[in-house]
Amino acid sequence: MSRIDTSAPPEANPSVRRGPRRPQGPWGFVLDSVRMAWRWLTRMKTALIILAILGLETLLATVVPQQPNVPITVADWRSGAAGPGQVVSQVIDLFGGYDVYGSPLFLALLLLLFTSLTACLIPRTRAFWRAARRGRPPVSRNLDRQQHVATFTSALDVDTAHDRARTTLRRQRYRLRPPDADDLGDGQVAAEKGIISREGGSLLFHLSFYVLLVGIVLGQLLGFNGQVGVVEGQGFTDTPQAYWTNNPGRWWGADDHSGFQLSLDQFNIDWVREVRFAGTPSLFEADVTVTERDGSVRSDTISPNVPMVVDGEKIHLLDWGYAPHVVIRDGGEVVFDGTNTARLNSQGFYRTAIKAPGADPDIGLAVGLYPWAPPGDDGQPIITGAPWDDAPVLLVGTYRGDLKLDQVQDVTRLDTTGLDLVDLAYVRLGSEVELGDGITVEFPELQKWVGLQVSDRPTVPLLLLGAALLLAGLVPALYAYRRRVWVRAVTDEHGDTIVTVAGRAFQRSEAFLAGWGGLVESLRVALDGDDPVGDGGDPAAPGATPNDVFDPVAEPDRDDHDRDTTKVTT
Amino acid sequence: MTQVELAELSRFLFEPVAIGLLSAAMVAYLYAMSATRIPRPDGTVAAAGRRSEHAGFVLASLGALALGAHIVVRALAAGRMPLGNMFEFSTIIALTTVLVGLVVIVGRLDRADLMGFLLLGSVLTMAAALLVYTEPGPLQQVLGTAWRAIHVSAIVFAAGLFTVAFVFGALYLVRDTAETRLRGPGPASGGSLGAAHAADLSGGEELDTVDGRMWPDAVVAGDLDGVEAEVVAEYRSHMRATIDPWRLAAGTFLGTAAVSWVFWVQGIRAGEAAFGSGFTRFLGINVVMALAAVLAWWAVPFLPSAATLDAMAYRTIAFAFPVWSFAVIAGAIWAEQSWGRYWGWDPKETSAFLTWVAYAGYLHARATRGMKGRNAGWLAIVAFGVLMFTYYGVNLVVSGLHSYAGTV
Ligand code: HEM
Repeated sequence: MSRIDTSAPPEANPSVRRGPRRPQGPWGFVLDSVRMAWRWLTRMKTALIILAILGLETLLATVVPQQPNVPITVADWRSGAAGPGQVVSQVIDLFGGYDVYGSPLFLALLLLLFTSLTACLIPRTRAFWRAARRGRPPVSRNLDRQQHVATFTSALDVDTAHDRARTTLRRQRYRLRPPDADDLGDGQVAAEKGIISREGGSLLFHLSFYVLLVGIVLGQLLGFNGQVGVVEGQGFTDTPQAYWTNNPGRWWGADDHSGFQLSLDQFNIDWVREVRFAGTPSLFEADVTVTERDGSVRSDTISPNVPMVVDGEKIHLLDWGYAPHVVIRDGGEVVFDGTNTARLNSQGFYRTAIKAPGADPDIGLAVGLYPWAPPGDDGQPIITGAPWDDAPVLLVGTYRGDLKLDQVQDVTRLDTTGLDLVDLAYVRLGSEVELGDGITVEFPELQKWVGLQVSDRPTVPLLLLGAALLLAGLVPALYAYRRRVWVRAVTDEHGDTIVTVAGRAFQRSEAFLAGWGGLVESLRVALDGDDPVGDGGDPAAPGATPNDVFDPVAEPDRDDHDRDTTKVTT
Repeated sequence: MTQVELAELSRFLFEPVAIGLLSAAMVAYLYAMSATRIPRPDGTVAAAGRRSEHAGFVLASLGALALGAHIVVRALAAGRMPLGNMFEFSTIIALTTVLVGLVVIVGRLDRADLMGFLLLGSVLTMAAALLVYTEPGPLQQVLGTAWRAIHVSAIVFAAGLFTVAFVFGALYLVRDTAETRLRGPGPASGGSLGAAHAADLSGGEELDTVDGRMWPDAVVAGDLDGVEAEVVAEYRSHMRATIDPWRLAAGTFLGTAAVSWVFWVQGIRAGEAAFGSGFTRFLGINVVMALAAVLAWWAVPFLPSAATLDAMAYRTIAFAFPVWSFAVIAGAIWAEQSWGRYWGWDPKETSAFLTWVAYAGYLHARATRGMKGRNAGWLAIVAFGVLMFTYYGVNLVVSGLHSYAGTV
């Protein structure tokens, strides 16, 4: 696209802008490498490759369990208790496969993707800006060789015909080439439409990724979420220490907590009991009372889709379980009296562990709770998988020895490596059972607990804005299409005015073709024309299929708007 | 009627009624496709072809009606919106493909010749739905919100559109292979877009002079008007001869296996023997897809030109992509409302994102010169594979494995 004519004298050529002076030596090498890397990054193929690798990583994350989601499964995979075995597990770890989204590789890819995005958006935005500000559609030297051509004679003189064509096209929101910019001197009308919405939409779409990125990163830094379990009749206070697990952003301070106090009055749960669908929850909600820091008290019901909002913090109901009250006596002396939360496990019962370090040596109970285990004919409980607590029974494995409480432990599991099994027995609600070694276990009461999540996500509105921009950009980016229309009126040898209308679509030729007849007709009416001669079809290929990608020149002249289009053929 | 009777009725409407009607419509349309592509000496089209096309339309409409009735009855039986489990999703995907076919492909674009394969796609989707059949039942409470309904219906609709696009994309690759090989070596080989473009420039009936080419480009591209019957018959057999059906079937078998193994794994996980019913499903799906590929091979001379198929695949994906994007956003809004986190990278969110990336890759490939044509076509196939893998894989295998954090 160089405009330099080598056979002409030097002064006939426009002056060539020289690039900035190149440094020599090692700096030159570094600079060249950076320039090359940048150029590589601006290529769409590069973006495609990065996207593909990102996709592969994501695929990995659907197949391999992820630490933040299911830490226990990951531990099982690592230890070889589940999954493909320890060797494979080590390979997965090598690639950060258990925490793909936190792995350096993923972050690096994201960084690369955004760099690539930036690298390709800067020139595009600049070109778009130029085109939007002062882009003008080029004239066509040979209208007859455009994609679509129609001809008719008009009763008007040439200038009036051109004027009316201008008005008509302007009314259809075409952008016109200013008449004085005409360098061919035949007064033809050149018009263009769709470039702003298509390219602008695409830019908006890609730019929305930055809004989303900022929203996500700021949300991580400024937000908070914590999880806590609360037994019926008990409560917690919104302080960092109260949460079982919490995840404050780096810019979240302890004094950002609103400090409310919540108590769980009652937890209501019920299930479908019809045999076919037994176990699907039909009722699931928690009645709570919240006392805010300023002393105001309010009662509310939290259900899975209806969180409670206190001072900008959302409280969600996420989890629940039974909480058996258990009393352990060792030689008649109470060594444990408390309510532990038990969680449903994959085998269909609720599990917890009770640790009584006060006994000597330590006593540990591995407890399985079966909520509906009615006694059979022999008096032994019949274990069912049903979740309702019509006949609860605890299966208690009693251990003595060293609980190893100085090590990090799972609250619902007993580390039995330092313990010896004493006895295994069922304990029904309301009863007390004597186990060996002078230990008795009493099960006076069964309560429920709920798992609540408290979260503060200040950037959600920003993210919504980003999502809205994404969609708002995507639709025109895919649907708007750029097209040019030329109208030229000439006087023939009989003194009649012959009007030629030519059109060309850069994308979605089929949509343009569909509107072509109407466009020609509107011009013909405005110009007092007779019936058009051209049928508006594609002159070159009668059987050809409209296709928006056919066009070999659909893209390259993005910032070359004044180029002569006579080379454009189909 | 009791709930159980309603459930039985809905199942009856699905199978055999809807599946039967749609299969019959498919056969009628496939026949019509082959018959209308045989020009007679006077240039008209065999009346049998037209009649069979009309029969196909009626049968397909009745099938869509039966499928719609199935959905309504099932909703009554379950007492809720029929958007609760995989069987229901698959049903709506199938209904989407049929309706898109009847309303857009036949109604607006007048491309009845594509309906046979489109209906094949919906019948196979319905057959796959039966593999994951669930009795109509109540829904978990957390699943009963407005945003979820919006999210799920949009995503299922988009998945139906992607299925339509897959049919076009797969046919495009078959047809393009035949066209490229039929043209033989020459400037136009190596990518159908270039080739089809050259066909436009060559201006129709003129026989190409490049060595090794026997057919006018317009004939290769499917424009048979005014071509003599013997030439057509010969051209047809030549076009089929360009593709080895065994290789095509084997390739399809292997490609499908890359996705369908999840059924096998699911069987093993459910405690079956290694070669139990999970394996049978795995094998069955692959064989059926391979047979579909052979059907496409048989139909290759009747198909629309590669350029048309490519353009239709592109347009369908371009329409589905914003719908999918919106669905993912709606899902994030739902998650924020129900669980207090808009995005948790759980397997389903991850798979929705992955599918989005795959189709974004396709759109980019289409917008990149040098990547157009076959490469982009393959990307469309891969993207659909990703969609199917994440749909079946995540639902059947993965989420059972890493139990759904936070789902009450
Ligand atoms: C998360 C990553 C990305 C997604 C989901 C995405 C998506 C899209 C979509 C849907 C289009 C419209 C395609 C069309 O007009 O047919 C598009 C166009 C485009 N994208 Fe991206 N994009 C991403 C990243 C990038 C990056 C990193 C680059 C830079 C190298 C890039 C460069 C382009 C260009 C140049 C176009 C214009 C194509 C045209 O106008 O025909 N995109 N992108």
